[in-house]
Amino acid sequence: MKVHLKVWRQTGPDATGRLVDYTAENIAPDMSFLEMLDSVNETLIARGEDPIAFDSDCREGICGTCGVMVDGRPHGPDSCTTVCQLHMRRYNDGDTIVIEPWQALAFPLIKDLVVDRGAFDTIIQAGGYTSVNTGGAPDANAILIPKTVADEAMDAAVCIGCGACVAACKNASAALFTSAKITQLSLLPQGQAEASTRVVEMVDAMDAAGFGGCSNEGECEAVCPKGISLKHIATMNREYRKAMFANR
Amino acid sequence: MKALKALSTSVGSKYLVALTGLSLVGFLTAHLAGNLLILLGPEKFNGYGHALISNPLVIPAELGLIGLLLLHIFKALRHVLLGRTARPQAYTRKVWAGAPSRKSWGSTTMLVSGIILLVFLVSHIATLKFGADYPSAEPGVRDLYRLVVEVFHSPGIVAFYVVAMVVIGLHLRHGISSAFQSLGLMTPGWTASILAIGLWLSVILAGGFALIPVWVYLFL
Repeated sequence: MKVHLKVWRQTGPDATGRLVDYTAENIAPDMSFLEMLDSVNETLIARGEDPIAFDSDCREGICGTCGVMVDGRPHGPDSCTTVCQLHMRRYNDGDTIVIEPWQALAFPLIKDLVVDRGAFDTIIQAGGYTSVNTGGAPDANAILIPKTVADEAMDAAVCIGCGACVAACKNASAALFTSAKITQLSLLPQGQAEASTRVVEMVDAMDAAGFGGCSNEGECEAVCPKGISLKHIATMNREYRKAMFANR
Repeated sequence: MKALKALSTSVGSKYLVALTGLSLVGFLTAHLAGNLLILLGPEKFNGYGHALISNPLVIPAELGLIGLLLLHIFKALRHVLLGRTARPQAYTRKVWAGAPSRKSWGSTTMLVSGIILLVFLVSHIATLKFGADYPSAEPGVRDLYRLVVEVFHSPGIVAFYVVAMVVIGLHLRHGISSAFQSLGLMTPGWTASILAIGLWLSVILAGGFALIPVWVYLFL
């Protein structure tokens, strides 16, 4: 099959970007979306042109490295799917596909479709951890956690940090990402010790990085490849309130 | 942690937007209940109006409402501007994500609907609160009923009020349930109920307020 692409090309952070037309020929329906881009890049390299820069790593939907806007939706048209798991059988011969990078002040563009998501690391460094003494591995049953609670914490912990939530949000807010980590740690006993400082420091880091606030629309939840729920943002807001009135 | 600093973060600011917004919804509910007395005739309506403005607490209450409104506007505007700054380069193509997103025409037009409502509010207060002070049969009691009937016999004003109430319905359709989410009260067990209450309360408030000018125009 053949598809027409409009790809955002931008040579560097300060350059002016624009959509450039490409045609991807001889595309097999079983190719992933990124394999289709690989194929286009091989053609570009053969012609001596600069290939389209994009991020990817595991290509099995678990690492969070890939992520582009496909026809105005992060990771493309399918729900709970990273763009590496999007396949060309989803498209018809002759379709036109618009591919753009995440756009956010906090995610400065490096080149073409590649953005720097280091701001997410800064948020995690601000409080997305538990301080424990390292040493021998603790006994697995030393702290008992009910299965339902462990499952809920895991639902939040499945965030892969791809940035689709920020990309979809009209405010480029990182509320879903930040709240997923806050919920995960707030549910577990290990997270209690730092509960009242974690949320404050992570929200401060989120604001300082240049992300916008949350308008409670939930576009983030709809595009999240891991189906992270908006309920975590409510949890973050609740944890923040608790921290405000905490006795410290 | 200092309370003022906490209330100026992205999360804390939305507490204030939510709390002031919900307070104003409380005011609207009481205001609608009072206004519906016009359907019961001039004595009841003028009596209610007189009881309201002769209460010594009315000035502090009005100042309080103005304060709530200003805080709501200030924090909401700051939130919108922060969001705009956070995305300096717009997408060339952007679509709504669809379910389970709660994005609606209401949620995407909060700034515009808010500005329209502010314009409406100024005109509303100028027309009615500071409108003609007709004396009623009872000494010292303003015949507000007569003014309302007079004003709402202009089809243009009736249309303006109905449109403004559609706008307030849109604003509240997102605002009410969103406030609960901002305050962290939208727990999984309550989410469906809060979304439904938000929707129905916005329909009831907008519909109830729109009913008055239409009713007055047609029947009084």
